Amino acid sequence: MITAFIHKFSSPKSFVNLTEKLYPFFIIIGVSLLVIGWTWGLLFAPQDAVQGNSYRIIFLHVPSVIFAELVYFFMAVCAVMHLVWRVKLAAYLIKSAAPIGAMITFIGLFSGAIWGIPTWGTWWQWDARITSTLILFIMYLGILTLHGSFSNLEKADRLMSILVIIGVVNIPIIKKSVDWWSTLHQPASISVSGGSSIDPSMLFPLFISVIGLGFTLISLGILSSRSYILTREKNKKWILDRV
Amino acid sequence: MFNLAFENFNEIIDMDGHGIYVWSVYAIGISIIFISFLIAKKRIRDFQKKVKIKNAPS
Repeated sequence: MITAFIHKFSSPKSFVNLTEKLYPFFIIIGVSLLVIGWTWGLLFAPQDAVQGNSYRIIFLHVPSVIFAELVYFFMAVCAVMHLVWRVKLAAYLIKSAAPIGAMITFIGLFSGAIWGIPTWGTWWQWDARITSTLILFIMYLGILTLHGSFSNLEKADRLMSILVIIGVVNIPIIKKSVDWWSTLHQPASISVSGGSSIDPSMLFPLFISVIGLGFTLISLGILSSRSYILTREKNKKWILDRV
Repeated sequence: MFNLAFENFNEIIDMDGHGIYVWSVYAIGISIIFISFLIAKKRIRDFQKKVKIKNAPS
């Protein structure tokens, strides 16, 4: 029954049709929230008592690293769906999400490195949090390289899914690295269970930026997956009918 | 909460010497995201163009 349900709602055709309708709403919500969150954070939030104005990088850095991990988690769920239930769409989504994951992880690493210059006096340190995030970036590139190295795309989908599942072990390591090891990177300022140590005047714009970046990345994912599905299913009648 | 944190435009740009870090991060970050959208849209357009040419009546 689960298999029938999954297959019914996971045809590439219905996915493209549904996401095409959702795209305009997602992109408008995403960009609007980013404009609000970043304007608030950059111009209206008060200066930090210790870090001064350099802390304003947080409104891009924190959302980026949150989604660097969430995109990978999404790919891992898709990998299980592809390997267990043979859902073709799940493999297409992994392939479409991986470049977005690499891009947002790069932004997270880059913004953190720039933030490190005025705060820590260095742009890079082989610290547990930073190193495990770099490994995540390399994982994304590895997944894309692995998929691109096979001419048999079904085989590439399966091996890519296996690699995604192996790499998921890195996600809790990134999350807990600041607790398990004494690192240069500070511990989490916000937690799901333990509240936040950030003042609301900084926390609200940060929250808005996270939601805004989420919608923006989903919009990018919709475009990216549509582009990949069109290429993979190019000989199908529904594609020719659409074009 | 909604008072501007700076006195004038120069302060906004300079941010007490941190402006170079803050603004460069946002400029590069936004550019990367924007270019990713352009690439995805171009790929869809190119595919549609290719299929239309392929299926055009000769």
